[in-house]
Amino acid sequence: MGTGNVQEPVGRLYDIQGFSVQDGPGIRTTAFLKGCPLRCPWCHSPESQLYKKQLSWMSMRCLGVDACKSRCINACTKGAIELGQTRKNIVDDTDIQMIHVKRDICDDCGDCAEKCYAEALYICGKDYTASELTERLMQDKNFYDTSGGGVTISGGEPLMQIDFVEQVLKNLKDNGIHTALDTTGYAKWEVLERTTPYTDLYLYDLKHMDSKKHEAVVKVPNEPILENVQKLAANGNKLQIRIPVIPLFNHDEDNIRKTAEFCTKLGDAVTMIQLLPYHNLGVMKYLRISDEPVAEATPPSDEYMEKLKDIMSGYGLHVTIH
Amino acid sequence: MYQNVPISERVKYVRNLYRTTRPKIDISRYRLITEFYQDNPQLVGILKRSKNLRNLFEKMPTPVRDHEIIVGYPGVEYRCSPLFPENSFAWFLNEIDTLGTRSVDQYDLDEEDKEYIKQTGQFWVKNCMSAAIDAIYPDEYYDDILGNGVLNYRDHENCQNPIGHYCGNFWTVVDRGLGSVLEEARAKKAELLEKGIQGHDGRRFEFYRAVEIVTEGIIIYTKRYAAECLRQAETCEDPKRKAELLSMADSLNWIMENPCRNYYEALQACYLYQMGMILDAQLHGISYGRLDQYVGKYAEKDIAEGRLTREEAQELTDMFILKIAECNKVWSERATRTGPGYTSGQLITLGGVDKDGNDASNVVTYMVLQSSARLKLHNPPLALRIHDNTPEELWEAGLETTKQVGGVPCFEYDNVAIESFLRRGIPLEDARNYCLIGCVEPCICGSEFSNSGGDGNNSYTILPNALWCAINNGCNPFTFPGGPEPKSTGPKTGYLYEMKSMDEVLAAYKTQIDFFTKWQVSMVSCYEYVYGIMTPLPLLSATMEGCMEQGLDVMWGGAKYNGAGNSSIGHGNVADSLNIIDQVCFRDKIATTRELYDALMANWEGYEDLHQYIMGRCKHFGNNDPEADKYLKFVADTYSEGITRGWSSRNCSWTAGCWPVTLNIALGATVCATPDGRKAGQPMSDGISPVQSMDKSGPFATINSILKFDQSNYANGTLCNMKFHPTALQGEGGNKKLRAVMETYFKNGGMELQLNVVSAETLRKAQEKPEEYQDLVVRVAGFSAYFVEVYKEAQDDLIRRTELAI
Repeated sequence: MGTGNVQEPVGRLYDIQGFSVQDGPGIRTTAFLKGCPLRCPWCHSPESQLYKKQLSWMSMRCLGVDACKSRCINACTKGAIELGQTRKNIVDDTDIQMIHVKRDICDDCGDCAEKCYAEALYICGKDYTASELTERLMQDKNFYDTSGGGVTISGGEPLMQIDFVEQVLKNLKDNGIHTALDTTGYAKWEVLERTTPYTDLYLYDLKHMDSKKHEAVVKVPNEPILENVQKLAANGNKLQIRIPVIPLFNHDEDNIRKTAEFCTKLGDAVTMIQLLPYHNLGVMKYLRISDEPVAEATPPSDEYMEKLKDIMSGYGLHVTIH
Repeated sequence: MYQNVPISERVKYVRNLYRTTRPKIDISRYRLITEFYQDNPQLVGILKRSKNLRNLFEKMPTPVRDHEIIVGYPGVEYRCSPLFPENSFAWFLNEIDTLGTRSVDQYDLDEEDKEYIKQTGQFWVKNCMSAAIDAIYPDEYYDDILGNGVLNYRDHENCQNPIGHYCGNFWTVVDRGLGSVLEEARAKKAELLEKGIQGHDGRRFEFYRAVEIVTEGIIIYTKRYAAECLRQAETCEDPKRKAELLSMADSLNWIMENPCRNYYEALQACYLYQMGMILDAQLHGISYGRLDQYVGKYAEKDIAEGRLTREEAQELTDMFILKIAECNKVWSERATRTGPGYTSGQLITLGGVDKDGNDASNVVTYMVLQSSARLKLHNPPLALRIHDNTPEELWEAGLETTKQVGGVPCFEYDNVAIESFLRRGIPLEDARNYCLIGCVEPCICGSEFSNSGGDGNNSYTILPNALWCAINNGCNPFTFPGGPEPKSTGPKTGYLYEMKSMDEVLAAYKTQIDFFTKWQVSMVSCYEYVYGIMTPLPLLSATMEGCMEQGLDVMWGGAKYNGAGNSSIGHGNVADSLNIIDQVCFRDKIATTRELYDALMANWEGYEDLHQYIMGRCKHFGNNDPEADKYLKFVADTYSEGITRGWSSRNCSWTAGCWPVTLNIALGATVCATPDGRKAGQPMSDGISPVQSMDKSGPFATINSILKFDQSNYANGTLCNMKFHPTALQGEGGNKKLRAVMETYFKNGGMELQLNVVSAETLRKAQEKPEEYQDLVVRVAGFSAYFVEVYKEAQDDLIRRTELAI
């Protein structure tokens, strides 16, 4: 590993999660990289979208200004923090006076987070060198070994930080770790191609087979995505296709059938299809980084998901839900 | 796919009886022992105990209930509790009128019986073991050490639950029969008489005589049950039940004296032998050891030769397990708070390896797991020994059971436990035959008398109070309301605010631990002397390997192997506290030692800033942080080095343990604020786990942190709880993944693990008090998350889904 190498790439993460059991085989540790070119309205990790570090505020952790003597308000030189809503203290039924971040003034400098010992205010986004991240991921090696797991690099869109991702994947392969790359596939082939020598499995999102509808909703066309996945298949890489099932967008049987047809053409490269039903568990997360709530939809029923699974299985594909 | 096998109608009936019967106090044993002790003041020691037991065997009621196949109970009515007044009785007389109305584990007591006890009970107040033990503790303890909080011996009633925590040698019972022991005892007696009883042989002679008295006694006791079956068979109108009673009588006339002939007889013989040990002394933590190993071959033979169907064998197993679950012993209200829920701690060990290191599981291993899972029984507790070649299907059976019954079985890893025996000098072949006793204490099955910290009134070593002595010049300040008067008890190691470096703090702590572990051993050595006189255990000694050979009772060191164990509490709190003193006062210089000391004395009031900083910004053990974790190793090693310096009255060195059960909560109520941010009265950390809600970095980091001390140095056992939400383990390969987490823990030095696959009820509590459930991992949808980080409506949804799932 290139410790001390001044040219070593640096990447930006918003989270590292151990005990991931849905992001590839075995038990895995998933590194979530910050920044994404897509703007999926159902995104359940809104903090993953922008590359810049962002001030986040988790209301549940806020002790209230009485308890912390308004350390955050006093720390902010821009006047971006004011008194906000209250919540009930379950223990003694008193009101906890929480705060509110004026997003139009806040410049994410982090002075307030520095003083928030409860970590209700925190800066989302942390920089690692490739060797630092590798070292952190290697701490969990014992778990990968016993479970047949490994590391998943996810996002955001990891390919936006290709130099960093390539180096981390290479380091992991040098250490004999199984690697998975969770990607939207929206990148130049030349970029994606750089990961192919070091990636054992691609977790590859297919959102809509109709490029116009794709672009209308997630703000980018689907052609590069479909071309790239075909190239990966032709290149002999392994694919686990992930389809987020989003009501009123791609959930219709017609789209699912077209997706299935497309997947069958990818041949043996496809090891599994994951149908991921839309859920609204990410909606509260938007309020951690902005004042604007996101639109909510009704999650598809279990029965409907089973029906879609049956349709896709009919094409000879190995399909799971979740 | 693992499946629960059907439950027979009879088993369903008993299961329902078990869950719906309100227990009573039964005074049969009390009446007999009171009369015997009052009539026989001339008898002492082992002769008194053996004749008393013989008297009980001849006169105790022999209930055979209509639904029963396995029989035996130390009282008349279903689920009743016998009394053991010879151990301790003042508490009972004090609480006699509130037993039926108290807030925990209620018992009914008939007015007539209550009157009898009130008339006779005073006899026991001065004639019980507790009084003798209170009297024998050194004056120096009462004068100078009492009130330290590190050891919780009190100034009176020091022996509420004596002589528990051992396991008989059931191989002798089933394979040989006690008739052979009886003959051996007679022969040994004759031999001594022949050559003349010389020197100290008087004690050996009395021992063999006692064994003769009690083995004859238990054979009589068993035949009395046979007679009762025959009596009932005579008037029984149901031909099927009549045949069953006759068959039971036939077996009961045969077993105990002779080798067992089938699976039913093996279970029945073990059960009645256990009953005999209970009648003798106690009902608390007497364990069954490796049940599947000593009855397995009988079950396999019966099934293979067509005498039993698998269904019939399962029903027998169910009835046996339910008989153990039935057992009850009333405790004082104070003691009950530490172990509520009508439990008698008769732990059964399953699985593991044989003497050659091969997998030892058999049909009984699986049947017992089925019993616990299907009948949803927390009692008897089960331990499943895991080794590197544990079969796939046994892993599955174990995991499925624990998913259905939280924490049952606990999983113990052979390599680490066996290594702990090898370090004590026990040969490999014998080390492989270990079982767990009481909670999680490893002990060689049938050849070790382990006194695993639970011979009753052994104190825990409460580490956070030792820290307090270390930073407060040997005086536990008891700052909380209602606390006792502070008194200087430990070595005068100075005050935190005088200390100039971390080395001084660590040295002070080590001085206190060395001091108090020495006292711990001293106290036990004193009371074991009393035990040896007042409560030898001749029926246990009759089968325990080594005792008959040497002519010595287990209490006198007669067993082939001996152990002496102690458990500590609060590793996590002290590790975090030391690290935080280091970080706050010395490394980062956030506060002076004076400020931190004052904050602790004030229970953090007026020091909210510092408290929040410590809770939010300081490193805590459990997050795989090297700075924080290094102090865990220091705390673990300091205590184990201190306690293992002790030498027991039974010629063995002491062993360290860490298994607080629920005492981390009960005793936490008496511990002042600690530097880790814990406020006065809050629970201490659980087992070897990190401080509650301080393991914020997920299960991988937690496990990595815990593994940083050498658990094979904890020969008296460690306890590690992990919680999982059922949904985290659903779906393809859920069990496989759970198993991988466990295997990683074990293969890197973990000894014991118990899993909680939690219920909706727990989730509701987590909603109310999220700060206490920070480490609860839930599978939400396509991802897993910390429950407390999921918003309210989603939590509600999970709770609803959980109720459907369980």
